[in-house]
Amino acid sequence: LPDDGAHPKGHRFLIHKRGDHVGVATSDIEAGEKAIGIFMDDDSTIEVKALADVPLGHKIAIEALDSNAEVIEYGTRIGRAPQGFAVGDYVHTHNLKSARWQ
Amino acid sequence: MGGELLGYRRQNGRVGVRNHVVILSVDDISNAAAEAVAGQVTGTLALPHAYGRLQYGRDLELHFRTLIGLGANPNVAAALVIGIEDKWARRVADGIAETGKPVEWVSIEGKGDLETVRQGSWMAKDLVQWASELRREPVELAELTVSIKCGESDTTTGLGSCPAVGVVVDELVDAGATVFFGETSELTGGEHLVAERCATPELRERFMELYRGYVDEIESSGADLLGSQPTEGNIAGGLSTIEEKALGNIEKTGTRPVIGVLECAEAPSNGSGLYFMDSSSAAAEHITLMAAGGAVVHLFPTGQGNVIGNPIEPVVKITANPTTAATMAEHIDVDVSGLLSRELTLPRAGELVIDSMRRTANGRLTAAEVLGHRELSLTRLYRSA
Repeated sequence: LPDDGAHPKGHRFLIHKRGDHVGVATSDIEAGEKAIGIFMDDDSTIEVKALADVPLGHKIAIEALDSNAEVIEYGTRIGRAPQGFAVGDYVHTHNLKSARWQ
Repeated sequence: MGGELLGYRRQNGRVGVRNHVVILSVDDISNAAAEAVAGQVTGTLALPHAYGRLQYGRDLELHFRTLIGLGANPNVAAALVIGIEDKWARRVADGIAETGKPVEWVSIEGKGDLETVRQGSWMAKDLVQWASELRREPVELAELTVSIKCGESDTTTGLGSCPAVGVVVDELVDAGATVFFGETSELTGGEHLVAERCATPELRERFMELYRGYVDEIESSGADLLGSQPTEGNIAGGLSTIEEKALGNIEKTGTRPVIGVLECAEAPSNGSGLYFMDSSSAAAEHITLMAAGGAVVHLFPTGQGNVIGNPIEPVVKITANPTTAATMAEHIDVDVSGLLSRELTLPRAGELVIDSMRRTANGRLTAAEVLGHRELSLTRLYRSA
């Protein structure tokens, strides 16, 4: 590959925007793993200890949320967390519900 | 975005990237004759489908608009229309003939399938020999109409393949091309983002009217939509809610203003630029409607691996999911999974997509074309009488 500014950073997940509550695993993350995430808007990084397995393409919480809080991804609401979640939680249909179609 | 682009300039000035001679059924019961002609005459392509009888009102208008639009599509060199009755077969043929391309029609009642196939085969033979002498010529990117829709989406579409297509859409619009997007219900949670991009208050109002109409219909069913929208495949791929799916979906529309709002299968009339078309989010229905509106190449980001194709509009598949790129490689035209590993930058991914689109336009067959994917699915607005 030509050097066009892209470099692998050893990350395990990506976050669309600063302020998002979740990141998306770009490879399978194992419970207990300290995983590095990269914010796609400013290339800054974050380290989160995974509390559960998070498969490729699935979400990991990077912020703790209270029950029924709005969940933000892409800088926009993607639903609500009925029981809230902790940093490192696996986030999917069991703890994230649509705020539009219930 | 360099490189020569070669297409077929049709009688009405529109540019196509394929040179099909289609045998178009007006109705379900004419499929056998249409397929028999296509079996007899090399170089023809039958377009069978499931509908066309006892439809009425807006649903019937959409049926005619779709069939005429498919025949009128610049990827079609010539068309033979076969229907059970004279009147509707002639109506479809006359609609297509407005483009100036050669069109013939034949009806079955009063003569039966065998005589219809005999007459139709003679017509088709002449159309194919005529079309076989047409040649590609240099065309401009600005002369293309491109459609976009993603399918079997997962979070990798929102992270990678949709943003890559978004880069291409901005480049196409800036170059003076026309781009269609749709998937009305799949904008839910991000519809305000599309509304904000509508170029005028009138367009914004029209967009929201179509959006609300479609979504009210879905919501009034009272059904549990989880598993349908998002689909089981979406959920397996990590998408949790319709909002999350919509926001990934919208990434592929780029950033330019929406300059037109179209009904199902409607051709654009506001010059070049980005158009929203009211449409189902189901892949076959969606691409059929866009082809009927005049789109000649489709860009299709996929996550979990949708295998869709269309008989007349080539479908270019783009995935950022490394698992799909490996396990369903025969379906993928552009692998941008390097966006997830950060080995690929977004501008470079956009270049890969536009290069594949340009080569497809110049005649390279897509994965879906080579694998025989010719899904044609007509949208119905309500049940037949």
